[in-house]
Amino acid sequence: MINNPSHPKKGHLKSKECKFTKAGIEYIDYKDIDTLTRFVNDQGKILPRRVTGNSAKHQRQFSTAVKRARFMALIPYVTENLR
Amino acid sequence: MKKEFYEMLYILNPVQDDDKFKELVDFVNNQIEQNGGEIVDVDEWGTKPLAYDIDKKSTGYYVNVYFNAPHTTIEPVERNMRINDDIMRYLTLKYDAKMKRHYDLKKKGDLPVIFDDEEIEETEDDN
Repeated sequence: MINNPSHPKKGHLKSKECKFTKAGIEYIDYKDIDTLTRFVNDQGKILPRRVTGNSAKHQRQFSTAVKRARFMALIPYVTENLR
Repeated sequence: MKKEFYEMLYILNPVQDDDKFKELVDFVNNQIEQNGGEIVDVDEWGTKPLAYDIDKKSTGYYVNVYFNAPHTTIEPVERNMRINDDIMRYLTLKYDAKMKRHYDLKKKGDLPVIFDDEEIEETEDDN
């Protein structure tokens, strides 16, 4: 489907790209909260790779970074759902 | 002995005088130096809200230290920090080559930007 240019769903599909690889990041800092919160949902859960398009290498680094930041109380473990 | 580059982030109890903060930061720095380390940089973030309560406190005084030290330094320093009640939490990391390069770039202020292009896309959508 992706290789077929005339496929009707072609227009909807966005080819995903790892943002970290694109920017040439070597190490994801746990103190950089702005970046971390971009890849986390409202509840504070880590978003899966199929959503963010992160590369496996960066997803691993990112998840350790999130866990470190949680330990240091920089980002929450869980957030209450606001209604 | 071979020295490694470390970074440590710790949270101090916010319910005390400003003099006490200085005293505690000096205490930690002294501990590192007495055990054979040398301080490279001390970055005090100041009092910040915590994401969740620690010891029934909702804010904390963050201090970020960078230092060179042999591996024998870490254990006695961390033991003393654990005993001290005013240090609520600490995290020590040993830097490898990649992290060191990241740190140097950060110091120079030209870290690669991750979300630059996405913000442009968002503004285009608004129009």
